[in-house]
Amino acid sequence: MRGPLKLEVWKMGFVNYLDALKLQEKLVSDRKLCRIPDTLLSLQHPPTYTLGKRRTDHNLLIPASELKNIGAELHYTQRGGDITFHGPHQAILYPIISLREIGLGARNYVEKLESTMIELSSLYGVKACAGQKGETGVWVGERKIGAIGVRISHGITSHGLAFNIDPDLKYFKHIVPCGITDKEVTSLRRETSTVLPSEEAIHEQLISCFSRLFGYNTVVWKENPSILSDHEEIA
Amino acid sequence: MALTMWASSAANALRISRASKPHLSLAFSFSRCFSTVLDGLKYATSHEWVKHEGSVATIGITDHAQDHLGEVVFVELPEPGVSVSQGKGFGAVESVKATSDVNCPISGEVVEVNSKLTETPGLINSSPYEEGWMIKVKPSSPSELESLMGSKEYTKFCEEEDASH
Repeated sequence: MRGPLKLEVWKMGFVNYLDALKLQEKLVSDRKLCRIPDTLLSLQHPPTYTLGKRRTDHNLLIPASELKNIGAELHYTQRGGDITFHGPHQAILYPIISLREIGLGARNYVEKLESTMIELSSLYGVKACAGQKGETGVWVGERKIGAIGVRISHGITSHGLAFNIDPDLKYFKHIVPCGITDKEVTSLRRETSTVLPSEEAIHEQLISCFSRLFGYNTVVWKENPSILSDHEEIA
Repeated sequence: MALTMWASSAANALRISRASKPHLSLAFSFSRCFSTVLDGLKYATSHEWVKHEGSVATIGITDHAQDHLGEVVFVELPEPGVSVSQGKGFGAVESVKATSDVNCPISGEVVEVNSKLTETPGLINSSPYEEGWMIKVKPSSPSELESLMGSKEYTKFCEEEDASH
């Protein structure tokens, strides 16, 4: 049987997409060398469109040159999944964890990420479910409330999930979200009549659902997490 | 899938009551007995296989690996002529919105890649040891093959890996 599982949580607030990407690359490397425990980044991004490894930029419906006018950036990544939007009032979790140590394959890992968002939704009386085959993500009926895009390198995860608390859904009109043409995007605000607590509280609930579903016995909160580590700068 | 149908009829024969999600629970309990492992191949701990025939080694991922990945929708492969190193990534597969690096079990030069995987990436799931082969390599250090596992060792490795969690 495996020993006690420890998760270190970094609550980071607003982080620029590229800064978060560089931090993840460093943490993946550290995790692979067992320098750090399983780590979970909890954050939000400024308006950002991202593409996955398949580079499905035909799903971006406005010219890239116009993105600046709407205050958004575009980034190409190595994660799985199609095009998506990240922005304020969307809760993002980037788990940097060792799947081999926890005994999960890609499929089971992604299912647990889906369950994390489904469980959070249920706290607000919202009945969400995992997507049908080929439509990984979390849905309320025909409307998508949570997206997933993951990278696994030497068994260590990066990227993760994005849960719509109350983002500006108009940004999604400029893309074919996740490459699925006939489905809407929604948010917790839209789906529940419950009064929402502070976003910080919702982020903490999401982290709590994650740590419980993944079986972490010990959760520690990193003091003053910073993009820059103690000893080096991100060049 | 054939595996879940088999498992369901086995469950009925043994009169095991079905849980609310029979596909998930039954498939899990039988998967480690029924992931195929072929004799005559060598295996890496990262779940790739190697078939060494003369001066060429064919490489792919195992049945255990494809089962844990889910349906493969995209495969990234190197160009012929590229060098590969033991333990380093040579490509990636995407399944369930996750890209997973695939590591090379041996070092050498890529001489051929399976172009069918561009159109039909699902061959990795349906035929991981045959039509789903990924690359062919001219090995630079054939002795590296000795550090890999044989079929019995790999079977045990998979069982231990699945049992410990």
